[in-house]
Order: sequence, then structure tokens, then C-alpha cells
Amino acid sequence: MFKELDPILHSQLRLAVMSLLISVKEAEFTFLKEKTNSTAGNLSVQINKLKDAGYIDVTKQFNNNYPQTICKITRKGIDAFEEYVKALQSYMNPNGQ
Amino acid sequence: MNEEKETQLSGEESLKLISEMIGKAKRSYITKGIASIVWGILIVVCSLLTWAQVQYQFHLGFDVWLLVLVAVIPQIFFSIKEKRQKTFVGHDEITMRFVWTTFGICIFILSFYSSRFHTDDITSLFMMMYGIPTFITGGIFKFKPMILGGVICWGLSVGSMYTPLSTDMLFMAACGLFAWLLPGIILWNRYKKNQACNV
Repeated sequence: MFKELDPILHSQLRLAVMSLLISVKEAEFTFLKEKTNSTAGNLSVQINKLKDAGYIDVTKQFNNNYPQTICKITRKGIDAFEEYVKALQSYMNPNGQ
Repeated sequence: MNEEKETQLSGEESLKLISEMIGKAKRSYITKGIASIVWGILIVVCSLLTWAQVQYQFHLGFDVWLLVLVAVIPQIFFSIKEKRQKTFVGHDEITMRFVWTTFGICIFILSFYSSRFHTDDITSLFMMMYGIPTFITGGIFKFKPMILGGVICWGLSVGSMYTPLSTDMLFMAACGLFAWLLPGIILWNRYKKNQACNV
């Protein structure tokens, strides 16, 4: 029986953001925008969806008078990401289960 | 990546995307290696000057190792500049900060001990100390030149127990060269290469 893929993660930009955030302790919005080659508006929408799902924490602050948005993956986000990868692997290699 | 164009990802595409993004994040970890180069040059220069003073019986008129204190200023400047430019924090950065701070404090205590008891017989301990953060950094970041640099420091530390002070200074210069200067140059070249790839 195949595991169902998490619909929150099974989206190109949200998965890209989660993959980046799992690789670092925390990242600024600009880092995510640069690495994903996305538009600020679209990235902002997807970050909010991940935040609403409880997969990431978003902190807004000022640094040298410039607004700064810092994103950090949560424990729930790490678990969901690991589950997603496991589910993907089971799809790719059904005999390996 | 626009939402409008977003299509359902296949299994292969998802795994490829994950691996691509993790790779991008990893490549962002590449540092310039400036601190490593600065400290490497400093240790090599101070050691060789000390060796020359002992070998050729002259005195520069000041303690060359005070240059270490001077190097702290550009170190702080470059650290602040690098921190401002960085848009992410890596998992191991805090660990590294503690490892190198511990090293700095221990070197300071060792220098104070050497000055307090007027002893030059602790060069082996200095070299042993040089090996610790170098080996840990190399191990955590899987950077072989630093792992090797750490091992060389420990080997030279043992060797220096059997040699006079002038030779110890040559050993210490070799520590600075292999533990920091050469790995720093390799990091700098990697950084430049990575930047060229991103253009």
C-alpha cells in the first residue's frame, strides 16, 4: 500500500523551500528567493502556507533599518519532510518496502 | 518557479528537486577562507622571525608574537562584514563558533602561563592546541586539508619534544602553513571557482 504524499509538500516551490530550510539552521527570505529563482509575491504566498501548516517558523525583524524575514523549519516540518521522502522512495522502489 | 505554471511533480522530479536544493544550500556554505589565510600567514611569519632571532642572534626590539593581537582587528572586521552579507545560518556554525572561541581562550591562557613563568618550553603544547580546532573543523565540514593539517600539528607537537627551540619555531611555521594557510588558499580558490560558476 502506497503512502499518500503530503499535499502541502507536493508542490514545486514549497518543496524547494523545505529542502533548503532542512539544509540550514535558518535562512532569510532573500536567500530562499535567490536559490529558488521565484518571485517575491509567489514565495511569500508559499511561505505563508508552510507557516500555516506549522512546518516553518517565520520571524520578521529589522536589521539596520531594513525589514528582514527569517524562516526556520520546525520539528513538525522536519517530520513531515522525512515522511514525504520515505513515501517518495516507496513509490520509486515499491519492491524495497 | 511560478505558482501559475506549477504542475504535479512526479516522484523522480521531486527527488531531483530536493537533491538540487540541498546541493545549492551546501554550496552556499563555502567560505572565503580569509581568516584562515590571515592567521596562517601570521603564524608562519612570527615563527620564522622568532627562529631567525634565535638562529642569527639578533633582537627585533619587540615581541613579534604581539602581532597576533594586531591581527584580531582585521579578523573582527572581516567577521562582521561576512556576517552582514550572509543570508542564512548553517547548522554547524554555532558549534564552530564555540570550538574556535574555546581555542582562542586556551591559547591566551597558555600564552599567559608562558609569560608568567618565563618558559619557552611549551611550544609542543601550542602545536597540540593548534591541531584541535583544525581537526574538528576539517572533520565536521569533511574538509580533508584541515583534517590533515590537524594531524600534522600533532605530529610536529610530538616531534618538537625532541628538538631545540629554534627547530620548534620551524615546526610551528609548518603548523601555520599546513593547518591554516594552505587550507585557506584552497578555500579561497573554491570560493572564486564557485562564484565563477554562479555568474
